[in-house]
Amino acid sequence: MDFANFDIDQIFGLGDDTNPLLWLIWIIPIVIFMFYGQRIQLQITSGDIKKNIEKLKQLKEESRKELIDYIKKELKPKADPTQKIDLFISYFTIMPVDMDPNGIIPKVRHIMRSREEYTRSQVKAIFSDIDALDVTKVQNLLEVATALQLLYKIVNHLFLTAKKQNNYPLILPLQMILPFIMEEADALKGAIPALKHGQPLGDGIGPMVVGKMMIGTEKQKIAFETVWSQIEHEKRKLYLLKAEGPLATVGRPGDAVEHIVSQHKPDVIIMIDAAVKLEGEDSATVTQGFGAAIGGIGTDRFQIEEIATKNNIPIFAIVIKQSVKEAITTMTKEIADKAEETRSQLYEMITEHTKPGQSILVVGVGNTLGVSQ
Amino acid sequence: MFSKKEEKETYTVEQCMSCNSMTKRKFKVGDFLFKETSECQSCKGKIIIEKIFAETINA
Repeated sequence: MDFANFDIDQIFGLGDDTNPLLWLIWIIPIVIFMFYGQRIQLQITSGDIKKNIEKLKQLKEESRKELIDYIKKELKPKADPTQKIDLFISYFTIMPVDMDPNGIIPKVRHIMRSREEYTRSQVKAIFSDIDALDVTKVQNLLEVATALQLLYKIVNHLFLTAKKQNNYPLILPLQMILPFIMEEADALKGAIPALKHGQPLGDGIGPMVVGKMMIGTEKQKIAFETVWSQIEHEKRKLYLLKAEGPLATVGRPGDAVEHIVSQHKPDVIIMIDAAVKLEGEDSATVTQGFGAAIGGIGTDRFQIEEIATKNNIPIFAIVIKQSVKEAITTMTKEIADKAEETRSQLYEMITEHTKPGQSILVVGVGNTLGVSQ
Repeated sequence: MFSKKEEKETYTVEQCMSCNSMTKRKFKVGDFLFKETSECQSCKGKIIIEKIFAETINA
């Protein structure tokens, strides 16, 4: 072979006589990507999503196993609870029709309370003797396992639908939302040890602030799993309200506020709660604002806003910022250290916004697990 | 890539209601906030659980 004689133009098809083989090497990938580009992208994206679905499946199974083990080892059920637990985990809730939203709040409240009451009675039925704290712990653990199962089912459904239809655009929203779902799933899994051991959660900072103010006072039950008491502060009457600790419950602050307002007509309502921080905000920052600081499905907030508006009572809020994970796992030192500062801000707010002789309703909102009063 | 695995330990802080002396120990099941745990050795005041929190320890 004569190597001194080769022609670069000929090899790369740059001469007048174009090389048909090279032409094909250029054109074939373009044709493949035109017709199969989305499928190729779908395959690449699928790998990452599959890994996350596997992780979700593992989290769901671990949460179920931990719940069953906890019940068997710590609570001594009458019989093997596995079948019943599996039944509870797969419960679903059908929300009321919202085409005509007028009057939907009482319907939502009714459905949620029916579900809650039914689950409570079913949990009690598993044991011959169980105290209120353990019932609320099992209820919370069940909610964690149910939420993880739901997340897994939804993500898996969206993924399999996209794969079945070979539809790449269908998988894009899932790819975008998956990091947030995984963050929530990790947070839910992180909540299990705190719930099992009865440790205060980050969300319990509101009840912690109010609970300390209630020490040594006469506590009365005002609504289901909700207590209140009265104290004096700088010639003002304070009505203190929180869920009944150390149970794993948020109580029924809506019903309780309605009751206190109708009986005692406070001049101001101040609500203390944990709030989800924005990205870039520091954890355990205490901030003040206006309006009803209370999360959940919205029925309690609606009830409090309604009664406050009817009676022309201003609502002030103090919130302690934290991430979703911090809110549902054992309270961090940074958040616990802010209880005293929050209490000082509350007293300042009371003296600034009210006069001697007036009365103030202070509500500590949140899950009061491990926080008595 | 080189980050250490984070582990958490839960602590209970007890405080005397009279002399405000504080002690920190590991959390025990059955602890809850504002529970009266014992009597203060120095002033005989009531000791309550003031804080329960998780702290990160690097494994």
